[in-house]
Amino acid sequence: MTVRVRLPRVLTDTTAVASRHEVTGATLGEVLESLFADAPGLRHHLLDEQGRIRPHVLVFVDSVRADIDSAVGPDAEVQVLQAVSGG
Amino acid sequence: MKRIAVGTEKGAYLLGGSGSSWTVEGPIFPGWKVTAFGRAGDGFHLAAVGSNWFGVGIHRSSDEASWEPTDTPPAWPEGSGRKMEQIWVFHDDGRRLWAGVAEAGLFVSDDGAATWDPVPGLNEHRTRGEWSPGFGGLCAHRVLTAPGRIWVGISAVGCFRSDDGGITWEPKNRGVPPVDTADEAEPPEVGYCIHGLAQDPVSPDRMWRQDHRGVFRTTDGGDTWQRIEEGLPAGFGFVIWRHPGTGRLLTVPLHSDGNRVPVDGRLRAYASDDDGDSWQVAGTGWSDSPQFTGVLRSAFDGDDSGAFCFGTTGGKIWLTEDSGESWRQLDPSFPRIAAIRIVE
Repeated sequence: MTVRVRLPRVLTDTTAVASRHEVTGATLGEVLESLFADAPGLRHHLLDEQGRIRPHVLVFVDSVRADIDSAVGPDAEVQVLQAVSGG
Repeated sequence: MKRIAVGTEKGAYLLGGSGSSWTVEGPIFPGWKVTAFGRAGDGFHLAAVGSNWFGVGIHRSSDEASWEPTDTPPAWPEGSGRKMEQIWVFHDDGRRLWAGVAEAGLFVSDDGAATWDPVPGLNEHRTRGEWSPGFGGLCAHRVLTAPGRIWVGISAVGCFRSDDGGITWEPKNRGVPPVDTADEAEPPEVGYCIHGLAQDPVSPDRMWRQDHRGVFRTTDGGDTWQRIEEGLPAGFGFVIWRHPGTGRLLTVPLHSDGNRVPVDGRLRAYASDDDGDSWQVAGTGWSDSPQFTGVLRSAFDGDDSGAFCFGTTGGKIWLTEDSGESWRQLDPSFPRIAAIRIVE
């Protein structure tokens, strides 16, 4: 099954990574690992030192907020957003 | 014609020009804090970036215009409980590339910033449990080297020195008051809020230190420090910079730790041409209008041609092209400036 991942522009502009990816995985963790196989430089920007999603990064699976263990269905869309924080 | 890289709270910019004519390219890394510039031994330029959302990153460039991110910047090991908050400084010693970071630590790269290893002798130092952050966080922000020796400045912990290439480290702060005045009667090993370090490359044990508690000099590699503030309007500040050719020292005094702006708004660089024995306002050109702005520790740079510049927390750049005799403020304005580097 293919999972579509969309990344925010503030991340892709600076990391020179495409904003849309097609990867695989049955959980969000697996999806992200598949994404990191394509773009290894994204790992430290999306996950903290403990392997958790960074506190100010939001990930939605089919518009529902998800965590690293969340299930991802076939043909799901995963959207990564930065939290509305900062100044 | 000068090119100056400006690292700000909101991206990096390349300033190019001379006289009163300057152009600005950027922002590079839009939306990201740019916290440090450096050079790798292979000649590549380095920029450290940070984001409240996406953590830190390192980018490499051959021309300061096009940049490529590295895949694996310094990182604390999983389970360490530490966060990689910011890359504060790069230092290339001709053989190895060092990076000082917050949460405080020292990392080293032997492949031009592609991969990094922690330096456990410092990062896991026996005093680590007593390390406390300064106002800017718990950060290793200065790295200097000489054959066989490495110095690292950590706020608000102090100066550390290694005499064996980074395997073992000792605090080197004797003569400097700790940041907590209650401890002065019996000076502690750590608890010193070092802000800046400069070094004589010919006699590297001669060093100058801008500290939270004043300006100091050592002639024995940091074993002992002496206060040198004659002529300064205040001992507080972040910048200490030494011209490698002439030995001219420069600093930008600020009022105090509780009031981090120039005394009476009189923003001036101060220079010493006698190793810090005495200080005076560096040259002319300073504004008579109040300039209530600060200058951060990495926001001062100079080159062999006699071009020195610094950026302010108010986003302005001051430049001299005659070794500090005449200064002018450049027209472009930027976000809060954290780092600056004269590229060419």
